[in-house]
Formats: sequence, C-alpha cells, structure tokens
Amino acid sequence: MFLEIKNLKVKGNGKQILKGVNFQMEKGDVQVLLGPNASGKSTLCHTILGNPKYKVVAGKIFFQGKEITDLAPEKRVKLGIALSFQSPPVIKGVKTSQLLDKISVIKDSKLKELEQVFDKHLLERDLNLDFSGGEKKVSELVQILALNPKLVIFDEVDSGLDLKKIKNVAEIIKKELIDKKISVLLITHSGAILNFLKPNITNVMISGKIICRDKNYKKVLKIIKKYGYEKCKKCPFLAD
Amino acid sequence: MAMKSARNVHFWQIDNKVKNILKVNGVILLTSPQAWEKFNWTRKYFLKRPEQGYFIWVRNQIDFPLFSCISIAHKNITQKLQNLLIIEKDLKLSLQGSCNSLKKTLRGKHKASGKIILRQGSSLKYNHIHTWGEKDIVEPEYEFILGKNSKLDYTYKTLYTPQKLKINNSFNLAAGASCDIKMIANCVETETSIKDVLTLKGQGSSGVINLRLVGGKASKVLAHSQVIADSESKGHLDCQGLLIDKESNISLIPELVCKNKLAQITHEASIGRISQDQLTYLRMKGLTETQATNLIINGFLET
Repeated sequence: MFLEIKNLKVKGNGKQILKGVNFQMEKGDVQVLLGPNASGKSTLCHTILGNPKYKVVAGKIFFQGKEITDLAPEKRVKLGIALSFQSPPVIKGVKTSQLLDKISVIKDSKLKELEQVFDKHLLERDLNLDFSGGEKKVSELVQILALNPKLVIFDEVDSGLDLKKIKNVAEIIKKELIDKKISVLLITHSGAILNFLKPNITNVMISGKIICRDKNYKKVLKIIKKYGYEKCKKCPFLAD
Repeated sequence: MAMKSARNVHFWQIDNKVKNILKVNGVILLTSPQAWEKFNWTRKYFLKRPEQGYFIWVRNQIDFPLFSCISIAHKNITQKLQNLLIIEKDLKLSLQGSCNSLKKTLRGKHKASGKIILRQGSSLKYNHIHTWGEKDIVEPEYEFILGKNSKLDYTYKTLYTPQKLKINNSFNLAAGASCDIKMIANCVETETSIKDVLTLKGQGSSGVINLRLVGGKASKVLAHSQVIADSESKGHLDCQGLLIDKESNISLIPELVCKNKLAQITHEASIGRISQDQLTYLRMKGLTETQATNLIINGFLET
C-alpha cells in the first residue's frame, strides 16, 4: 500500500477532531475526500504532513510501507509527500522566489520553466502577502512541483476560484502530476474540480470519520447535490 | 567585505595600520591624522587630534561608489577611529562601508566616532555593514549633519553582533533635508544598545527611522529612538523586535518630542515571537526548523 492510515484519532486545541480514520491509497491513485465544513478534512491532510498543531492520540500512518506517524514534517516532505495549503500564511520579507530556491529539488532549468507560470512580479513579492485566491493556488502549485513529490495532497485547491481558473489549475495538475502517475488526494467540499480530474476513488468524511468510499464520483456528487451530506449519514453502505 | 576585493577598496585599514588609500579624481581621501595636519579647518569637526580614521572630502561628482573597509585581524587589537566625510553642495555619493573582525574570537575593540556632513542639496546613500566576533566590543558614534535640502539614505546592518555593541547616532536636519534610516541587527549572544536621535531642525525637513532587531541566544537589546521636531516637519519611527528564545529580551523605547505645533511626528513599535504557523508552514515545505527560523528572521530584517 502506498499510503495507509489505520484508526487515526487526532486532537486539535484539546478537541477530538478525527475519530478513527481508515484510509488507503495505491500508487498513481487520484482520490478525492469530500465532506462538509469542519468535518476534519483539513485536519487529516495536515496530520499526514505532521503539523504539530494536531496530536495523534491513536492510530498509525504508513507511507510506502514505512510508519511516519511521529516523523517531523520536513522528513515526510523528503519522503515525497507534499501539501498544497488552503490558506498559506503571509511571511513578510521572504520573497516567493527565495522559498522556491530553498525547497526546490529539481534542476534549475526546470524550476525556471515552472516559474514561467508565475506573473514575474509575484515571484518578487513577499510570500502570500496580498495574493489573490488564484495567486495563492498557483504559488502553492509551483512549490509542490519544485518538490518533485510522490504524493500530493491538495487542500481545497478549487476554493475561491472561478470555473475558468479551476480548469487552468486542473490542467496543470493533470499534466504535471496525474499523467506522470503521481498520486493525488484532493480535498474539497464543492467537487467542481472533479469533472476535470476524474478521481478513481471518492471518499466522504463526516464528523471526523470516512463514512463512504466509492469508485463513482459522479454518483456520490449527485447524491450529495440532491440530498446533502445528511443522506450520506443514513446510507446503508457506510464504509466503517 | 571579502579580502579579494581589497584592491578596489578606497580606504582600507587592518588592525591599526592603513593598508591602502586609492586616489580618486574629485575626492580627497586621507587618513584623519593627515587631514588634521593638512587642513586646519577640519579641526573643528574632530573631537580631538585623531589617531586613526578616514577623511573623505567629495569635491566633485563621481559616478561610482566609494568603499571603505576597516578590519580587525589579530587578537586584542583596539581601534580608535575618528572619521570625517564631507560631501559638497549638490553632489551625490554612494558609500559602502564595512567594519569587521576576520575571526570570531579576536577579542577586539572597535571605537569609531565621526561626522558625516552633507552640504546643501547633496545626497548620500550609505550602506554600513558590520560583522563581528563573539568577544568583540564595538562602539560607533556618528553625527550626521544634513544641510538644506540634502538627502540621506543610511542603512546600518549587523548580522553578526559582537559581545557588546553600543551605537550612538544623531541626525540633524536643516530646512528641506530628508533622511531614511534603517538600523538592522541580528543580535546573538550580545548586549546591544542603540540610541538614535533624529532632530528635525529646519522647516520642511522629514525623516524616518526603521529599526529591525532580532534577539536570540540570551541577548539583551535596548533601543532608544528619539524624534525631536523643532520646526514644521515630519518624522516617523518604526521599531520592530523579534525574540527568538526565552532567555533574550528586547526593550524598545520610541520617544517623540514635539516643539512645533505644525509638526507631524508618529511612531509604531512592536515586539513579537516567531509565528508557529509560519514555522510549521515552512517545515511542511521541507525546511528544517533551523532553516525555517533563519528564513523568517532574514525576512523580518528585510521588511
């Protein structure tokens, strides 16, 4: 198994957020994790990356067969896991280009090619300072590509973007990651990006647990759109 | 400043010996003792007969920067410098000044005092870089005298602080003169005190002092910045501190003294710690905690 999460229970600010998550990904998978606000989706992806804000109180995380539950965040990144932040913090005085230079593991020529995706001025602006929604997504995406990852988690990559920008971002994700068999986990609560990326497995998280796992994202989206997540809670085929 | 480029340094002193002074057309470059002997009128600017230091008198426009480099290379050296820089009317100068210890453990003393005089309409862009060893004691004391409508852009930066650093600067502005002062110090294992006094003497003068101080490894940092408005003028103080560890402390004292009802002087000051969100974000991009901390510190010092 490429990524395996077993019975993960996580606390944040003293409150239990994840209440026993089980999850698996194979290499090359494109999976999506749907769920309403505050269901624990972002907590799960931050916990996979080792954000110290979240305390694992039970369960284990394995990546390529190695347990990473207690590994420092930077060591998980070195193993090949990358996260695109939903709301990256502003860091004044640090230029976007400086961070890219520091974290990049790809060839300079390839990095220069990636930087073409940016508006040139964005590279020389302070990291995330006054970035629009679209600029933040592009900045996160370019950082991820510079890390040459094996597994990428996108936390709400489509939030705050119009349909045209979602399409642009989706095209880059498809060309640079999915077509190269890099595993992708998309976290979203709208699902608009899925029509472009066509995940092979759809998961639904509610109240800190993954309660549904289905191959047909269209079917799941249709049910959620028609009946809301309340219907998922009553589904007779709950994942757990 | 790297020793490799020493040939291009216009005033170069190591320990107590002047290694080189380059000739520049339009500029008189001497040691301060030579200037004391050669030009009687300079004596009013020196506190007493100088033992060491540079004298730079810019009499004609030059279109390249001047470089000065004063280093300590051996143990237990004491430098007592008196420097004098004069820029004549309507001329512009860019100066890169470097004072440093070539090793970390030399226990040197660097005492520098001086006057920087900008005549009417002149301008100076001065980057002043310090790099010291862990046991050095450093005491610079400069008076900047800005004539009518002159302009000063002064950046002092020390990324490697000595054991003790005591800076005393004063900036006196005549009518229409302006200055932009940046004092940047990454204070590590040090006792640092910085005193800046900006006096807006002339009508229409304006000045800004930006302080960026980082306190780490049990440092004690005190910064007292003062803006005095004698006339209708504008001044602003922006003092920011960043604490890296629990053993360090930073005291910022911004002081405004207004003597004219039409003057506008303002200040802002804050001291904070490194944001955990920023640190975690950078670690989740692959940087170690130390790398992330250094990047945040460097960013803070550049704002």
